[in-house]
Parts: sequence; C-alpha cells; structure tokens
Amino acid sequence: MDGIRIGVHICRGNWSKQEEVLLSGDYTRLLPALEQMKVRQFVLEYATPRAGDIEVVGRKLSDRELGLGVVNPRTDEVESVESIVAKAEQALRFYRPEQLFLNTDCGFGCFASRSVNVEEVAFKKLCAIVAAAEVLRRKYG
Amino acid sequence: MATTFLTTQVGSWPRSRQMLKMLRGYQKGTVSRQEFNLAAEGEIRRTVALQEQAGLDILVDGEHRRESFYAFLTDKVAGTQLMSLADMLDFVEDKAEFEEMLRTMDMPASAIKNPTCVGRLSRKEPLAVGDLEFMRTLTAKPVKITLPGPYLLTRSMWVGALTRKVYRNHKKMADDIVRILREELLELRAAGCEFVQFDEPVLTEIVMSEECERRTFM
Repeated sequence: MDGIRIGVHICRGNWSKQEEVLLSGDYTRLLPALEQMKVRQFVLEYATPRAGDIEVVGRKLSDRELGLGVVNPRTDEVESVESIVAKAEQALRFYRPEQLFLNTDCGFGCFASRSVNVEEVAFKKLCAIVAAAEVLRRKYG
Repeated sequence: MATTFLTTQVGSWPRSRQMLKMLRGYQKGTVSRQEFNLAAEGEIRRTVALQEQAGLDILVDGEHRRESFYAFLTDKVAGTQLMSLADMLDFVEDKAEFEEMLRTMDMPASAIKNPTCVGRLSRKEPLAVGDLEFMRTLTAKPVKITLPGPYLLTRSMWVGALTRKVYRNHKKMADDIVRILREELLELRAAGCEFVQFDEPVLTEIVMSEECERRTFM
C-alpha cells in the first residue's frame, strides 16, 4: 500500500521479566513468510541475545527498512550508548543509514496490570537511543 | 528532521497506578467512558512530552487507552468479548495442559485478557483514528500508530467452543479480521498517518516453541 509506511513488529514475548521463560531463536524459519509480506519495515528485537544474529535478516530482507531493537524494555539497567552504536554498526553491514531505525525491543507496558518497567527507566532508555543516533549520524551521515 | 537512524519506540508506556485504577473502574462500569478517556489523555500528554524531551523522532501515544495491545479491540469491534485467561479455562480443550503452560511460562492468568470472538466481527468505531487525531493536537512530529496484526488476532480470538457457533473455521473469521484492519489502514492513511505498525508477537511462537499447537493467546 502506497502513501503510508507499514511496519510489522515481531518479538518473543513481553509478559515476564524472567528472560528464561520467553521464547528464543533467530528469524531463519520465519524468513519465507517475512519475504512475502508487502511491508516497508520489520521492527525486530535485537537487544536480547535470544533474537540471534542480525545477519539472518540482513542477508535476506535488506530491501526493506529495519527497526532495530536496541534496548530491552524489561530490564532495569540502561543500555550504554556505545553498546547501541555497536549494535547499529552490525546492522550497517546490510542496511543504509536511511533504512535503519533505532527503537526499543518491544513496548514497556504490554498487559494492563503488568507493566514490564517503570517510567523513569523507560525514559532513560529512550535518551540512550537518541544519544546513540546522534553519534551514528556524526559518523555515518 | 533527520533522515537517518530515525528513533522511535514500539508502543506501550508503563501504566501509572492512577490509570490502572481508572481502567479497572471503566471495565467494572464504575467509571464512565468519558472519565476514562480524560484520564488516558492526561497520561498520553505526559508520554508525548517525555518522548519530545528525550528527542525521539517518531512518537507513539503509549497505548494508555488500551487494555493491552490487542485486547482493546473489544471496545471497538462488535462480536468480541474481553475474557481473562482464567475465564477461558472453561473453554479450552485441555485444561491441565493450559494451566501447566501458564505456570511454566510465568503467565499471569488473571492479568492477561483476550478479545475472544463470540459473534460476527465488524467495526463499531475506528480502532485508532481517534488516537492519531489526539496525537496531532499534542505534537508536530510524525506519529506511529500500532495495531494488532491479523495473524495474532486470528490465533487469539478463536476459542473453538465459543467461536465455532459463528464462523465455520479460522479462515472465515480471518477474512473479517483482515477486512477490519484494511478499513482502518485506509482511514489512517486518509488522515495522514505516517507510520502504522502491526504487532505480530505470536509469529515466533509457531516456530520457536517446541509445540506448534501450544496456544498462549497472545
């Protein structure tokens, strides 16, 4: 569909802060389905190691945009700007800077009575994403 | 606006205690829809201000009006009923297995609510056009609207014991879900929405859980 950016977000669950109960695996087995989708962007988890390597998606879907997940919404620790920049640089092997969006891995709230984080931490995570984007723009335009 | 490394977030913002109280009141009928919306608008204002302050490029409303990223459909779509996973125990085929799944996955059965299909599905009102319009009054930045994806909805809304009375199979129900989402997408485009994100968290469940038949209803 023209005239509007359509994205699809996929994750491995966001209902618990216990990482080990959430799903694990890379996107290999989903690629045949993803390749057929008429969408401009895939918004994918990459802050968690459970999502596997960026290469899996980068090799097959670099004709689309990637909404790169760079912070885990379920942790209290704020990711460092350096770690976010490094993650984006891995994606730059496959995507141009215009194709690369930086975002959270998932939402911060999810189910009404079970927010996976608090506002103060969520805000700091957004600030880290913005600071990383500024570094990346200086380096790569 | 920058054209590279655009920054955004995926949808929901942590709920305040006040908002949760209003949501429960609204669902019980002790808080009117107008009171509920007023409270949600206050939360959205703060969420937008925080994103502006952080310097994000594309903003979301934080989904404060929504029970969850997909269960909110019961407010907007005829033929649906909001049910907690605990309520649904009576209708799943294998109760013991379902309970075991909730336990091992640390899923809060009473907290997670499902938009179960119990009648013919049709849009009573737009799903998110109102959210976009309200965002326009708060920010000049591009807005991302999130919607539950067709696959997630087909998988979660179908509860055989209740849905089979209305639709012969998943596919028949899915035709109506796709029609509803498409109508919404066209209206959002006409309203000038920059970005619509469909959420499909369960796609991973199909390929990554050991058991393809396991159903978490999300």
